[in-house]
Amino acid sequence: MRTTTRVSAVLAAFLSLGASAAMAQSANITATANVYQAMTITGARTLDFGNVFPGVAKAIGVAAATSGRFDLTGQASANVDLTFTLPANLTSGANNLPIGSWTGCTNATNTTTGCTAFTPSAAATASAFSAAGALFVWVGGTVTPGAAQAAGTYTGTVTMTGVYF
Amino acid sequence: MRSCLFSLTLALLTASPLVGQSSVTGIRNLDFGVVIRGVQTSVSPNDPVRSGRFYVRHVLNRQVQVRFTLPTQLARVAGGANLPISFGTTDAVAKGTAPTSNPLTFNPNNTQTFTLVSSADFYINLGGRVSPAANQATGAYSGTIVLTCTFF
Repeated sequence: MRTTTRVSAVLAAFLSLGASAAMAQSANITATANVYQAMTITGARTLDFGNVFPGVAKAIGVAAATSGRFDLTGQASANVDLTFTLPANLTSGANNLPIGSWTGCTNATNTTTGCTAFTPSAAATASAFSAAGALFVWVGGTVTPGAAQAAGTYTGTVTMTGVYF
Repeated sequence: MRSCLFSLTLALLTASPLVGQSSVTGIRNLDFGVVIRGVQTSVSPNDPVRSGRFYVRHVLNRQVQVRFTLPTQLARVAGGANLPISFGTTDAVAKGTAPTSNPLTFNPNNTQTFTLVSSADFYINLGGRVSPAANQATGAYSGTIVLTCTFF
């Protein structure tokens, strides 16, 4: 009788242990975000080659008074990638005027003195906004009229895109 | 009688889950990156870089119940503002590590129970969205996501 009782008690203990099969564990991760103000880009000045003569290439450098300029505002001190869509020709009706040899320069203030040179292209150029959230970008290039280049007013579009990174 | 008792004890012990094999680990944060004021930004649970990710390990043919504790706001690290965050019905995906495992999309706002039939371990990816106000204070924001697993 005693043996039977002891066995029953032991069985009850083991059965209660076997019934507690559930176990809980927890783990954490973090959700993060970095809120920036929206970026604005303004075409502030046209790249103007002025009068160009057949057969005579003409370059406008970034420091010239008629270089192109984009003005940007955005998140203070934030990094930004700049990419460009550049024409191969300026056009006047059916006539093309080749353009190339692009040059660029960036600065946190509206002056080309001490600006950082780069080559505008479809590939990203890294830059950064100033502590005041400003960035200026100048663009120059070279037009190469042919010897029989038709007279006329030639135009084209330079597009710059900025992306925070 | 004694040998009978020992045999019964051994049988009961081997029926219990192997506790050391069961675990849950957070392995990647949910990172929204740069978010523009006034622009809602989402991260898909399938994003291989930005989605949150947990690793769960248990025992083949056993069950795991998973339950998220999800924030409704991220707090600005510098203080003074909160960024609303939400999780949709398809913002969680579970997938076993076996080549034959198929991803299972589920609602992270609800408790979900999985039976591990193809592998003893699996990953859970988590997406979501933040909704910054037009005048949201700029800066870094963060919040904690907890995954609780109950192993059966």
